[in-house]
Amino acid sequence: MTKIHIFDPVLCCSTGVCGVQVDQALVTFAADVDWAIKNGAQIERMNLAQQPLAFAENATVKAFLERSGPEALPLILVAGEVALAGRYPTRTELARWAGIAKPLPPKIDVACCSDSGCC
Amino acid sequence: MQFLDRPPRFLFFTGKGGVGKTSMACATALQLATEGKSILLVSTDPASNVGQVFGVSIGHHITTIPAVPNLAALEIDPLAAAQTFRERILGPVRGVLPEPVLNAIAEQLSGACTTEIAAFDEFTALLVDSAMTADYEHIVFDTAPTGHTLRLLQLPGAWSRFLETGKGDASCLGPLAGLEKQRTEYQAVVRALTDPARTRLVLVTRAQRASLREAARTSEELFSLGLSQQYLVINGLLPSPPLPCDELAAAIHQREQAALATLPDILATLPRAHVELKPFNLVGLEALRHFFTHHPEPAPSGEVELFESGDTPNNLSDLIDQISADGPGLILLMGKGGVGKTTLAAAVAVGLARKGLSVHLTTSDPAAHLTHTLEESLAHLTVSRIDPTEEKERHRQHVMDTQGAQLDAEGRALLEEDLRSPCTEEIAVFQAFSRIIGEADKRFVVMDTAPTGHTLLLLDATGAYHREVTRQGRNTGHHVTTPMMQLQNPKQTKVLLVTWAETTPVLETANLQADLRRAGIEPWAWIVNQSIAAAHPRAHLLRQRAHNELGEIHAVSTQHARRYALVPLMKHEPVGVNSLLELINQRIEGSKRDDKEPRIEPLLQQNPKSGDPLVCSM
Repeated sequence: MTKIHIFDPVLCCSTGVCGVQVDQALVTFAADVDWAIKNGAQIERMNLAQQPLAFAENATVKAFLERSGPEALPLILVAGEVALAGRYPTRTELARWAGIAKPLPPKIDVACCSDSGCC
Repeated sequence: MQFLDRPPRFLFFTGKGGVGKTSMACATALQLATEGKSILLVSTDPASNVGQVFGVSIGHHITTIPAVPNLAALEIDPLAAAQTFRERILGPVRGVLPEPVLNAIAEQLSGACTTEIAAFDEFTALLVDSAMTADYEHIVFDTAPTGHTLRLLQLPGAWSRFLETGKGDASCLGPLAGLEKQRTEYQAVVRALTDPARTRLVLVTRAQRASLREAARTSEELFSLGLSQQYLVINGLLPSPPLPCDELAAAIHQREQAALATLPDILATLPRAHVELKPFNLVGLEALRHFFTHHPEPAPSGEVELFESGDTPNNLSDLIDQISADGPGLILLMGKGGVGKTTLAAAVAVGLARKGLSVHLTTSDPAAHLTHTLEESLAHLTVSRIDPTEEKERHRQHVMDTQGAQLDAEGRALLEEDLRSPCTEEIAVFQAFSRIIGEADKRFVVMDTAPTGHTLLLLDATGAYHREVTRQGRNTGHHVTTPMMQLQNPKQTKVLLVTWAETTPVLETANLQADLRRAGIEPWAWIVNQSIAAAHPRAHLLRQRAHNELGEIHAVSTQHARRYALVPLMKHEPVGVNSLLELINQRIEGSKRDDKEPRIEPLLQQNPKSGDPLVCSM
């Protein structure tokens, strides 16, 4: 089974409780990960604040951090290769990478702050 | 002192900074050691002077006290503990990951939660049976874990979650990740703490309403977690009958007695001890031995000089003049709970409004009685309120409805606990805060609350990330001013730090200042509030206390503050426009030795037979 590694930016917690406004993208993504794992995907999340060693020990991630800085995270590796950076994948993308059945549309709106201007 | 009777193995003293926990713990340790028991005294006070008290340098290892048989002590510095903790995570990647990454991680691990968990981690070893502590019959701590820490440690989810992946993890326990081998140790610690046969909790407080409310909250919270053997100590009481010849002392005494007469229910049921205000500093064995005994008002021994001749500290109105001269902006009063931020914010707002300036005062005062009459009585002044409980509840509800909905029962319990952390409360209040600060370009906005530097840095980090996303999405290119940028700009924002002229509060305020500086915010002034020295007391006991304040005031003026003001302890709680104006205009002047009509003179005459103070002479 293809392994998916998510390298999160510095997060208080992967749920994003600590943001000014709860980041809907994080909420949605947490749910998507949960869904994918339940459907047999192998996904691992690493939080830069808590597992920096995992970032340092992976040459791809380390080089990415040096080039683009921590603000360019998250970085998503699929089978060790860069699959996505700068945003979280959708449920459909997760399903494709993991080789599991596609989710049923539609799903929750992922817009983070389109109305609030918090961005 | 009932809390000294047949104590269990562990004694914890808890209470806010400045109430006298460390003194109480020292005196208790000394007392028990004198009874022939072998005692270990553990201090986590950041201003720990335990070494100074016993005349020996202690530090981070168990040190026997030569002057006291059976007594050993240990000092734990919570900030150093947090530093060690951060290093455990950062050390392996230092020099490997780029500098900005390391800084971002370090900031994440610089919050109050990390410090608390780190300090707790330091003393867990003392609570489980180990060779290190086997020789001690009692261990006396000048601190106690908070309810938040204990609840986290008790939640099974907190432990399993951050070991599993992809599910979510506890923010406050984050730094413990990878230390799962200690889980059984933590469980043993929680068992020891909640066993009344092993642990006694002593709540230390002052006889002030706010202080008692806080103690009641702590008591209730820890009770619900199983720390059922609780005692209450009211420290620093003025003796009864009231000191003669001193209106200030009489008024404080009356206020204290009224507070004691209306103790919160949960405190009223606890075994209680009263400890009187001491005229001396608790340094040295002699002073400590007399800690629990009654002291009659000491005979005045000569004049107590409060301020040097010609030394006239700023008062609040001096600061207000400078604030008004700089034009509209944001005025933030910051400091630990209970130091009087709300009162001072109200005073600053009233002072500015009296000059005919447009002012918006926002307080988070839970009682609201301090400010609710101000608006009607003064033109140019608008008053609004941020209710932290309401904001927190709104935030909690929103989080639980969104991501909480996706979680199982264990995950929800953990999320609930994360939402009870002090950081989360600050963030919830920050939302309300951000709504109001935008007004500060047109008028003066005075607030008694503000986020810490740590919170700002964290929020800014997230904000920066969000902005990046926006920029990638649609390249509008318009300039964004974040609250952080507004707070960093001295033209827009003045931070006034509020403290008391006592060791621990001054140190805590200095730490707060360091935290703000880390976020690029330079506090504009300090306010030393409720100063006895500035109140020109007459009773000798108060004059001695006043004298003890001078060292702290000096430290504030020379080491910490760019400018500062001194505000006296008032006879009555300053409520309403008139008493706030009185507070602003208190002028504190130095007494002159060669003054023909000295302001401060010995006012007590002694009964020649008993030595008791009898008559007031004017």
